[in-house]
Amino acid sequence: MLDKTTIICRCEEISYEEIEEVIDQGARTFDDVKRLTRCGMGPCQAKICTNLVANIIHEQTGRPLHKIPLPRMRMPLSPIKLETLTTDSTSFSAVKSVLDEVELEDGKVR
Amino acid sequence: METEVLIIGGGPAGLTAAFEMASRGLEVTIIDESFSLGGQLCQQTQLIRALPSAYQPMAGFKLANKLTEQLKDFSVRYLLGHRVIGLYADGSIGVTDEKDVFPVKAKKILVATGAAENAISFPKWTLPGVITIGAAQTLVNRDFVMPGKEALIVGSSDFALDVAYQLMEVGVNIKGIIEKSAVVNARDKEKVNQVEKKGIPFYFNSYVKEAKGNGEVEAIDIQLQNGILTETVDLVCIDGSRSPILDSFYQLGCSFGYQEVLGGWIPQYNKHFQTDQKNVFLAGNAAGISNHAALLLTGMISGISICEELKVLNRDAFKELTLSYWRELENLENKDAWQARIRHIEKFSAPLLKDQFIS
Ligand SMILES: Cc1cc2nc3c(=O)[nH]c(=O)nc-3n(C[C@H](O)[C@H](O)[C@H](O)COP(=O)(O)OP(=O)(O)OC[C@H]3O[C@@H](n4cnc5c(N)ncnc54)[C@H](O)[C@@H]3O)c2cc1C
Ligand code: FES
Repeated sequence: MLDKTTIICRCEEISYEEIEEVIDQGARTFDDVKRLTRCGMGPCQAKICTNLVANIIHEQTGRPLHKIPLPRMRMPLSPIKLETLTTDSTSFSAVKSVLDEVELEDGKVR
Repeated sequence: METEVLIIGGGPAGLTAAFEMASRGLEVTIIDESFSLGGQLCQQTQLIRALPSAYQPMAGFKLANKLTEQLKDFSVRYLLGHRVIGLYADGSIGVTDEKDVFPVKAKKILVATGAAENAISFPKWTLPGVITIGAAQTLVNRDFVMPGKEALIVGSSDFALDVAYQLMEVGVNIKGIIEKSAVVNARDKEKVNQVEKKGIPFYFNSYVKEAKGNGEVEAIDIQLQNGILTETVDLVCIDGSRSPILDSFYQLGCSFGYQEVLGGWIPQYNKHFQTDQKNVFLAGNAAGISNHAALLLTGMISGISICEELKVLNRDAFKELTLSYWRELENLENKDAWQARIRHIEKFSAPLLKDQFIS
């Protein structure tokens, strides 16, 4: 059904071929594909491409869908103006998961 | 802001849950990013027959009105046009009204965020004119806009056939229904008859090979079992089925399991529709894709579970109600969905995905 030029992530215009390539290089989860291609980093925040990518990983590798984990769903859950986010900056700074993958210790990444 | 119960999502599931709780005196706040209540029911004009015993068969948008109306005697706070965008470290929900971001602190949170439609990809599926069936339904029934004149429908579920019929009623010419399997997917034979009577062809064992067009869709190559058929169209409506909307659960730290029949990944929950985060409950399509009866009943079950925990419903009455709602659910939900739900609940203590934020 798909040819190599078929778009998989419409926000970032990532093609089937590009996804296939990174799976060949070892990508096994949506977040692997995302880190290597920008797939999922568009305005819809992966809402459209998550399942399409999971299906491709499944077809290419034979890995069952229940072994292909969900991507990280991070704050803000949907696009929001920076202006809005900063209006109430005292409570904004306490929002969980803004930078949860990078933990600082003495000003350096741990 | 503080509230006893925060319901995320004012669709049918959130509204029925709100009724159980508000009518027993709990302080309920409903947040929805849309400016009206009723969720995705608002653009459903088809008659919904199978509903819990408390409701008569009626059209979807009328059910949305009824569920909204029945709350009017109770003090429910509505945050319409508000979105949940994340979670604060102290467990408060991060909400925006598009001007500010502020925390809402709740004793119990009920997530009823519904489902999103899945895409199906084929060459040039991103051309304007290729849309989901839900989008077509919204354009026709809510916005009163004709999305096209000559259309193909991809998929033959009850939902797809309903929308095909609704499009026909406003004068869209449906050139065919493309189904990848060998039989119609819809369970309601009346719907199939209705569409067949209009002379619309079904293409079985078939799929979209590619869309063609310059700047918009102009034609579709249908891969039939024995060759290719090209149809000129300006509208293609895709039914790629639906999956639960999980982002709020993810932020809340809930665990997930997988049930294909229920839409793939779904939050792990017990028979009270309580997640492994003790104060987080769920209902509706967010708890697994099912029919309308199940949307309402899961709302009712989670609603009374919160009532019991917040001590506005005594244990005996709670047990009895839980039993009777579950009995109705068993009778009204499609068998495969019900069985998947039971399997899912049995796996409550052994989720496939957990501690997403820590790992
Ligand atoms: C466009 C469309 C058309 C549909 N048509 C049909 C149909 O014809 N027949 C059928 O059987 N099913 C249809 N469905 C499936 C639909 O999911 C169910 O019919 C039903 O509406 C689900 O009820 P619910 O209460 O679980 O969720 P919904 O009705 O989807 O309600 C969820 C609510 O939560 C809100 N919400 C979600 N996330 C957030 C957030 N972060 N912040 C604030 N608010 C939020 C949404 O705005 C929405 O109002 C359709 C779905 C869609 C998307
Ligand atoms: S389709 Fe991939 S980010 Fe939107």
